This record gives sequence, structure tokens and C-alpha cells, in this order.
Amino acid sequence: MPKFRLAIVTTHPPGKGSLNEYAYHFVRFLRQKGEIGEIILLPDELPPGQTYRFEAHPGHAPVRVIPCWSFGAKDNAWRIRSAVRQADPDAVLFNIQFASFGGSKVPATLGLTAPYLVKRAGYPTIVLLHNIMETIDLRRAGFTGNPLVESVMRFFGAQVTRLLLAADLVAVTIPKYVEILESKYKANNVVLAPHGAFEDAPQPSFELPPGPIKILAFGKFGTYKKVETLIEAFKLLQDGSRPPLELVIAGTDSPNAPGYLEGVRRRYAAIPNIRYTGYVDEQDVPRIFSEAAVVVFPYTSTTGSSGVLHQAGDYGKAVVLPYIGDLAEVIAEEGYSGEFFEPGNPRSLAAAIAQVIDNPDRRRELGRQNWIASRGLPIAEVVDWYLLHFENLIEQRQAATAYRLPAT
Amino acid sequence: MQINLQQLETMPGTEQAVAVVGLAGRFDAHEVPHVRQALTQAADRTEGRVVVDLGGVNFIDSSGLACLVQGMKYCRERGADQILCNLQQPVRIIFELTRLDRAFKIAGCVEEATTTLAARNSQN
Repeated sequence: MPKFRLAIVTTHPPGKGSLNEYAYHFVRFLRQKGEIGEIILLPDELPPGQTYRFEAHPGHAPVRVIPCWSFGAKDNAWRIRSAVRQADPDAVLFNIQFASFGGSKVPATLGLTAPYLVKRAGYPTIVLLHNIMETIDLRRAGFTGNPLVESVMRFFGAQVTRLLLAADLVAVTIPKYVEILESKYKANNVVLAPHGAFEDAPQPSFELPPGPIKILAFGKFGTYKKVETLIEAFKLLQDGSRPPLELVIAGTDSPNAPGYLEGVRRRYAAIPNIRYTGYVDEQDVPRIFSEAAVVVFPYTSTTGSSGVLHQAGDYGKAVVLPYIGDLAEVIAEEGYSGEFFEPGNPRSLAAAIAQVIDNPDRRRELGRQNWIASRGLPIAEVVDWYLLHFENLIEQRQAATAYRLPAT
Repeated sequence: MQINLQQLETMPGTEQAVAVVGLAGRFDAHEVPHVRQALTQAADRTEGRVVVDLGGVNFIDSSGLACLVQGMKYCRERGADQILCNLQQPVRIIFELTRLDRAFKIAGCVEEATTTLAARNSQN
């Protein structure tokens, strides 16, 4: 099969939208595949002064960038369809989750009609869907606190899911999601595709750098990722019985919770040794993780498998997780291991963190186990699976087109 | 896991050899380096004509699947193919769940696989 041109609708660094990190690694490896002639990146528009940059490398497919949507806008689906038609790729991949296109209901929902429109425009389409409506806790994720509104949202969420399932394939990263989509929606185009490990680095050191013991929380905070319990736990841990500690809260507000971290910073200003890094540039991610003794997941619910967990594994870090939803399932299914705590309980969280930082052997053991788990399937190989699916879809489309052509 | 890559057969209607790699047991990340080496050696001996007999495999994880994908790509880069056969039910379910059953050529038995390879060979 000749090389093909793939369009990808996604966020991407320096854009700060969710899934930008996943897209960064996916595109990084996709460029290196011989099957790809060109990548047409269709990301969100950046603030003034920022640009998407892709350096040319010998043997790497070129990347053309067409920023064509913006978080919260209501016309994203139409603009994306228009950009796809303009670029005219061989196939289109959507790297999305339910809140990719907006933090409020209308733009989020309208944006999710984009795969349907692109498919209707005649392009082979795969949606990589990082979460599904059925497993999102809408109240904790910040969408609504009203049960009636929640029911209405779930109804419309189901209709949006049906639209997403109009794509040629919908890829999900957890077997349970396949079961739900097949049983509830009678879908027969859902495919399991592992999340994949981001880094291709050699075995990390399981020792810590000199200085305070760093406890890391990484992500976009304010909806279902809340740091209050973690800070309360950190206060308990700083009881004078341990070497110096530092709590590193790395990341930004969730788009659904602007101003959250600033509010937390003011509220807990009296507690020492807390560092808020703000947005972490891609080149700083290895250092942030490598310096940490433990990575904590201060989640009250989850909306999908965790890229941060895979990153913690990449860097050989012990993790502390809540007893909830997908995280526990990912732990079980993918071979990760950690200490667990009761969500919302600072004493439980402090005890779980203490299990790691007070026991270097336990910390190293968990880090090694998570590193081995993260090695399971590098994202470079996951990319190959998508290429196979795209090749099949393109061949099917070509065969159907040939069948429709009149005999000469 | 048991890996047998010694078996070489001749494709029907040709004088060309095809390697049959038989696998048995649990195919997970720990086995991947050994299987990858066996598949590469088999492909190198036969210009990429390889049959992987999975009849003895009772478990496969994503690493095992990825190893087979790499093997298939290696063979196709040589203008030939890697065909799977004898998938047991637990393994077939994983292929269906990931839809890789549509990416690989899958035969019922070794004989059918070698016939398929011969047919592909005559098309090229």
C-alpha cells in the first residue's frame, strides 16, 4: 500500500488542552512510521504569540498544522469538517474525550458531532475515545450538580455516543468500555487499543536525588482532581518525624475549573513546603517525575484511563491511588501496583503516602513494578495497530469506490 | 513457553520454503524477546514467508499481539506475509476485541496457511 496522509484532530503542546501529552507522543512515533506520507495536525488555535513547531527530521513524515477549532466555541464541528475537506487526507483520527471541545454542555456536545460530519463527508474515520459517558461522574467532573440536569445530560450523552459510533471505528483503552458500548449501543465497530507507554527511555534510577522528599501530583486540577485532601494529608505528614518534605502540585486548572489552584494556594498559604509549578513544559516533565519519591492521584472520580499513571510507570515511580473506578481497574489489568487510600480522607491518604516514603524498599519495589508494567506496550507499537486499522479502512474505501465505478 | 521454529515446509505448487513457527503456552511480555527472535530468524530464512501456529497458546496479552504485528510488518517489508493459524478460543477473543483479526491473515490449520501463502506468492 502506498504511503497515506493522516489528519489528526487533537490538542497538542504547546496547547494545554487535555490529551495534549498523549497526542505529543502519538505524533512523535507516528512520524517515524514508513506507512505515513504526511500528518495533517488539526489542533486547537493557540493564544497569540504561540505556535506549533515540528522540526524536519530525515526519515520522519512531515507535519502540516492547521489550527481549526477553539475550546468552548460552538462551531468547532463545522470548522473541523471544513479543514478536513480542505486538507483532503486519506483518513482522519480523532484523539478526544467527552470534554475535548468545551467545558460547558453545548460546545462540548456540538464539538463531538465532528467525527460524524467528517465520516459523512466521505473520510475513513477512527475516534480514539479516552472516556465514555457511562463511566463519568458528571457531578464530580464539574458538569452539573443537579440530578435532573444530569439525567438530561446522560440522555444527550447517549445520543452523542451514538453519533461518535457512526465513525468507522471507535477505539477505547479499557476492555470494560468495549463491553459497555457493545451491550448498550449494540455497536460492532468498537476496538480495544491499549493506551501504551509514552517513553522509550532505559531503566530509570530508583534512587532519589538529595534534598527534600518530593510528593508529586500531576495533572489538570479542580474538577475530579482536587488537591485539598492531599494538602491536608501533607500537613499531617509534616509532623517533625520525617526528613524534610515537599509537595509539588504540577499542572494547571482544569478548563472546567478556572481559578481553582489560585483559590487553593490562598486557602492553604499557611502550610509550608508546597510548590505550585504551573504548566509543565514537555522538556521539564522528565525532571519533575524523576525527582519525585511518590506520585499521588488525588482523584474523587475518574473519566478514563490515566496517562499520568503510565508516566509514573515510565519513570519508575511508586504511586498512591484512591479506591475508585478505572484507576483500580487499570492497576489490575495492566500490572501496576500502588498504595491505596479512601477518597476524601486525609488520614487515609497520609498513611498511604507514609507507606511509601517511610519505606525505601517498598518505594523501590513499587517503582520497579510500575516501570515493568509501563514497558508492556510502548506507544510506538500501539501506533502500528492504528496504522493497520487505517490501512484496512482505506482499502475498503478504495474497493467500494472501484466497485461503484462504471466499467470502461 | 515453547517455541519451535525448525519446521520448514514447501509451499504447494512452488519450490519455495515456508517457515512454520509453533508456539505453545502463555504468550506475554516475558516471552516477547524470544518469540521476536524466532519470527525474525524464520522470516530471514524464507524471505518473509512465515506461518505462526498458535494452536498451543492459551493466553496472549497486548505485548504478544504487538510482537505478532511486528512480525507481520517484517514479513510484508520483504514482499511476503506472516499467516496465523490454529487460534484457540481465548486467543481468538483477544484478536476480535482488538480487531486485529482483520489485519492478519488467519487460517484454520498449517496446511491452509501454506496454501494461502502460495496463493499470495503467485499474485505477486
